[in-house]
Amino acid sequence: MSANLNAARVTAPGSNLAVVMRRVLTDGAGVVAILYVVLFALYALWDRSALTASGVTNLSNNAAPLALAAAGESLVVISKGFDLSVSGVVSLSNVLMATYPLEGPGGALVSLMICLAVGGAIGVINGVLVAILRLQSIAATLGTMIMGQGLALVIMDAPGGTVADWVSYTLTDVIFGVIPISGLIVLAVIALWLVFRRTDTCIGLFAVGADETAASLSGISVARARVTAFVGAGLLYGLAGFMLSAQTATGNPTAGTPFLMLTFAAVALGGVSLTGGRGSLVGAVIGAATLMLLQKVLFSGGVSSFYTGIFQGVVMVLAIIFGSLILRLASTGARA
Amino acid sequence: MTGTRPSAALQAPADTRRIGRIRSETISTAAIFVLTIILIFASRFVSPALGSWDQVDTIITLASFLIVVAFGQGLVILVGGLDLSIASMITLGGVLSTTWNGSFGSEWALIPAVLVICACIGALNAVGVIWLNIPPFIITMAMGIIVASAALGYTSGTPRGAAPDAFLALMKGSIGGLSAVLIFVLVFALLAWTLQSATAFGRRLYAVGANREAARIAGIATWRPIMAAYALSAACAGFAGMMLVGYANGATLRMGDSYLLPSIASVVIGGSSILGGRGSFAGSVGGAILLTTLGTVIAALGMQQGWRTVIEGAIIVGALLLLREDLIVKLRSVR
Repeated sequence: MSANLNAARVTAPGSNLAVVMRRVLTDGAGVVAILYVVLFALYALWDRSALTASGVTNLSNNAAPLALAAAGESLVVISKGFDLSVSGVVSLSNVLMATYPLEGPGGALVSLMICLAVGGAIGVINGVLVAILRLQSIAATLGTMIMGQGLALVIMDAPGGTVADWVSYTLTDVIFGVIPISGLIVLAVIALWLVFRRTDTCIGLFAVGADETAASLSGISVARARVTAFVGAGLLYGLAGFMLSAQTATGNPTAGTPFLMLTFAAVALGGVSLTGGRGSLVGAVIGAATLMLLQKVLFSGGVSSFYTGIFQGVVMVLAIIFGSLILRLASTGARA
Repeated sequence: MTGTRPSAALQAPADTRRIGRIRSETISTAAIFVLTIILIFASRFVSPALGSWDQVDTIITLASFLIVVAFGQGLVILVGGLDLSIASMITLGGVLSTTWNGSFGSEWALIPAVLVICACIGALNAVGVIWLNIPPFIITMAMGIIVASAALGYTSGTPRGAAPDAFLALMKGSIGGLSAVLIFVLVFALLAWTLQSATAFGRRLYAVGANREAARIAGIATWRPIMAAYALSAACAGFAGMMLVGYANGATLRMGDSYLLPSIASVVIGGSSILGGRGSFAGSVGGAILLTTLGTVIAALGMQQGWRTVIEGAIIVGALLLLREDLIVKLRSVR
């Protein structure tokens, strides 16, 4: 695994067209980006409004919460772990936003801080349980997910409440007439990732995911890398809950439940290896956007909304099989 | 656990592991039952109506669904997996048994047919796990979504029909003064425990769960026990769905939702390792009864149901931490 990582780095500056093509095709993010473009073309063919500014804004607002959650999940998956707490954090921040609406930009900032604090705190708990107390990540985060969902039910036992108007109007709006704010927020997270990717901490994350023993022997603090991944993930789930509240404008104690499957589907579709050490946050974001677009395409294609789950489940399984095929292709490519 | 250390130290090094394991499992199972009994008696202080024989009967009836589901979940966890499709399989069992009731000839054809359908879907999960190398929790989660969506589409949102008479009799009837479901739970627990702990099939499950590669080298066709575990889990969930339908005399599309997480919690607090290869069904039964009792007490205290969920999550994390401590003690005694 670590050999693949190095091979990818070495071939990166290749100017040869064949090398570039192989990189795009064996990079999960590249493949899913192509898939997105194809789906979008299909959608635009069926529904002309997709090409208008409001159509694009709509897509962006729809995809932003899942994209942010998938971005968080990719951090944990890259460091070889699974984080189920995403649905707990999203539900919890959603009910907090709907129970305590704070008006105006200042209120929105405080709400954002609360969401980030909730996500960060659960991330710290996950990190401690997994990295320091050495519990299996699925089991530990299952526990924190259940607790998060329970707390959401304690705060709000039935759907209701209203999110502050400022949040639900402004964050779903556009600036300069065309650029959706939700898209900008996702882009900001991607920009942060591109910076983070250059840091030693992030290289440590990949190294721990690829081979924990080797990483530890080469002087990387495995515990610190894992805790960083979980806290980063928690913060992004909090942000996802914040954006979801802006989009739905109301509270629901089970708002986060659908996120559990969809984030993993997005991560797998985005070419992040579920066995750790490979992938990118950008891939996960595009994967999430693709899944949400797929829902729109199915809807405009006349598939009953009853059956969207069947498609999502099948796409998820196919994405994982597809992803592992790409990885196999990439590793034979690196060896050749 | 502190009790196992000195006694284990007296044994020969090669034996300490096995003896330590059996001891700690028996102790954790016994502890759960004692805790449950204390909780039942203590509940008298909350409300005088609790803690009576009727109350015990009610708790066993309410726990019966969870006990059946936890057996399947326990088998999947034993072979190193996790079954997140259980909620949808419960719903499927309930929906099919009510929708097809009456139009399927005899009930005695309907019930096995539903169970076989559920088992086949469980076997599909196993195909994904064994041959496609998909992480168990992901393939079962995807399957759960697919099945839930199919059930939604099939019923157009409103399940119709009544429960099969056999399940009405099971959930509402009584035999010789005892409620039928109480006798059923006893028989089921005994059979299930025997299958898991006293048959060659059961030993293969443990072997595959403890070390799949070693089991393969030892000559076990590892795919068989794994597939059997997933198929049984789905069939148990389907059966629990039919029991629920008998209890409420009708199916709903979300009837399985409140059993998924408790099923995992029952197995984990029953002393099974979430990594597989360790655990006993007796512990899971104790876990299921404890969680149900806890739910009743929380309801009697007038606390919000959300707290029940929080406590469940906390119990899972607590049990995981305790089991981990146990592991360290064992490692020390081996050294």
